Amino acid sequence: MLQGALAGLAAGGLYAVLAVCLTLMSRLVRVVNFSQSATGMFGCYVAVWLSIHIGLPTWAAAVVGIVLGSALSALLGWIISTWLAEADIGTRSAVTVAVLLLLISLSFILFGNKPQPFHPLLPGPAFSVNGVVVSQVTVVTVVLSVLIALGCRALLTKTSFGLELRALSERPTTAELMGIPAKPLAVAVWAATGLLSTLVITIVAPSQSNDATSLSMLVVPASAAALLGGFRRLDLAVVGGLVLGMAQGAVAQVDSLSVVRYFLPFLVIVGLLLWSQRKEVWDVAR
Amino acid sequence: MSALQVKDVTVTRGAGAVIRDVAFSLEPGRITALVGPNGAGKTSLLEAISGVIPAASGSVHIGDTEVTKHSRVARAKLGLAHIEQGRAVFPGLTVMENLKLTARTWPRVEEVLALFPELDKRRNSPTALLSGGEQQMVVLARAFAARPKFLLIDEMSLGLAPVVFTRLLPMVTRFAEEGAAILLVEQFTHLALGVSQDAIVVSSGKVTYQGSAQDLLNSPETLHSAYLGE
Ligand SMILES: Nc1ncnc2c1ncn2[C@@H]1O[C@H](COP(=O)(O)OP(=O)(O)O)[C@@H](O)[C@H]1O
Ligand SMILES: [Mg+2]
Repeated sequence: MLQGALAGLAAGGLYAVLAVCLTLMSRLVRVVNFSQSATGMFGCYVAVWLSIHIGLPTWAAAVVGIVLGSALSALLGWIISTWLAEADIGTRSAVTVAVLLLLISLSFILFGNKPQPFHPLLPGPAFSVNGVVVSQVTVVTVVLSVLIALGCRALLTKTSFGLELRALSERPTTAELMGIPAKPLAVAVWAATGLLSTLVITIVAPSQSNDATSLSMLVVPASAAALLGGFRRLDLAVVGGLVLGMAQGAVAQVDSLSVVRYFLPFLVIVGLLLWSQRKEVWDVAR
Repeated sequence: MSALQVKDVTVTRGAGAVIRDVAFSLEPGRITALVGPNGAGKTSLLEAISGVIPAASGSVHIGDTEVTKHSRVARAKLGLAHIEQGRAVFPGLTVMENLKLTARTWPRVEEVLALFPELDKRRNSPTALLSGGEQQMVVLARAFAARPKFLLIDEMSLGLAPVVFTRLLPMVTRFAEEGAAILLVEQFTHLALGVSQDAIVVSSGKVTYQGSAQDLLNSPETLHSAYLGE
């Protein structure tokens, strides 16, 4: 079990970072970004292509991929804040579903449907506990998820940039009337979350199922984790991601339960939704 | 020239015009009361001036710059502030954070807090926890902190007891004395006219009186017929 849980921790860190990105997006720019991991996937795929066909060193290709993921996300943010500035969160989120499907199809067209020959950025183990090996990837992703959450919290509460973002998220029109530029700030948030998602997917993808669909669908477990924090709390999003990853890893170790791990995110989402609605249901029932 | 000019502005909402060919200018140091019955189009006019909604025709000028097609942010940068109808606070931000959003310097935050002792005592409370009157003070203080040249105030008194409102009005006067041009939309017509130099009455989207606030205050018949659109 412990071995499984530790093995799942890398995926957990990945979910945690993506969950933090989803939380920031929903709080600050009013969108549930279904293409959060697809943009990261696309950036990674381009990086792999560059290193194989152009012969760029792995790290240089990775940097290009990360910048591309960030730019794609920023572009989408610019489009949504230009044409759907006043639209409700449902409409804005629906656009990201279209982008998710577009990116998956595009990667099939450009790169084929075989898994990509990823070169690991961080090869090898970091240390071992009771004979269970913990990889460098695991250490880096977990540390990264905690640092990103702490960094974002500090940015939001301690800087004037963060203050303006919070004001915009609470009353966009009022904030604009005070001279706070909504669109550039929103695009900056999209660019930053795009960068973080691509970065973490670049680190973890070589050691995971890394076909286009699997990577794009990472948004599902990440949503489950973000839901634990109600799409508002960054700390709970990180905890949710790490716990979900570890639970999946532990379950995968038990033969009779191993298929259950694919349903875990789904079970968590349904469970949390029912739990959060319990009061309403109770009130209606009375 | 440092006035705000509204030239023949028409505003449409849904099917029809809710403001028709309205023209006036706001001068530094003067308060203009904008009054009229509910639904006359006062809020729509303010929104067209600050860029919340577009003007269908006519033009808005801040100083020498025509801003009719400018964004809200661009207009704010030219010195325009708009206090919206209802209490436009950021509920999750503290009193201090609200002020920091618009004040460019720390001394300015302290200066504004000194004007509102009630707020000074609660500087670290989230705005959501303040009373209605205190929340409206936050909105006013936040606007003052930016030192706008032009200030549009939409029904500051909405939902407040008259005593609370009479506590806020002298702040508006004081701000005009410091050189701001103010457009004051108010349901408490007499209180508003009492602190204003100029007055505009709109009824069903048309200007029915434009002139001295004092004259209007002294002539209830004029006020009455202007409200009725005669
Ligand atoms: N968002 C809106 N959409 C359509 N019509 C509106 C909207 N807001 C106000 N109106 C209409 O515009 C007219 C003027 O309203 P408003 O500007 O709020 O007047 P006032 O502020 O003087 O009460 C009213 O007839 C009102 O019904
Ligand atoms: Mg109104």
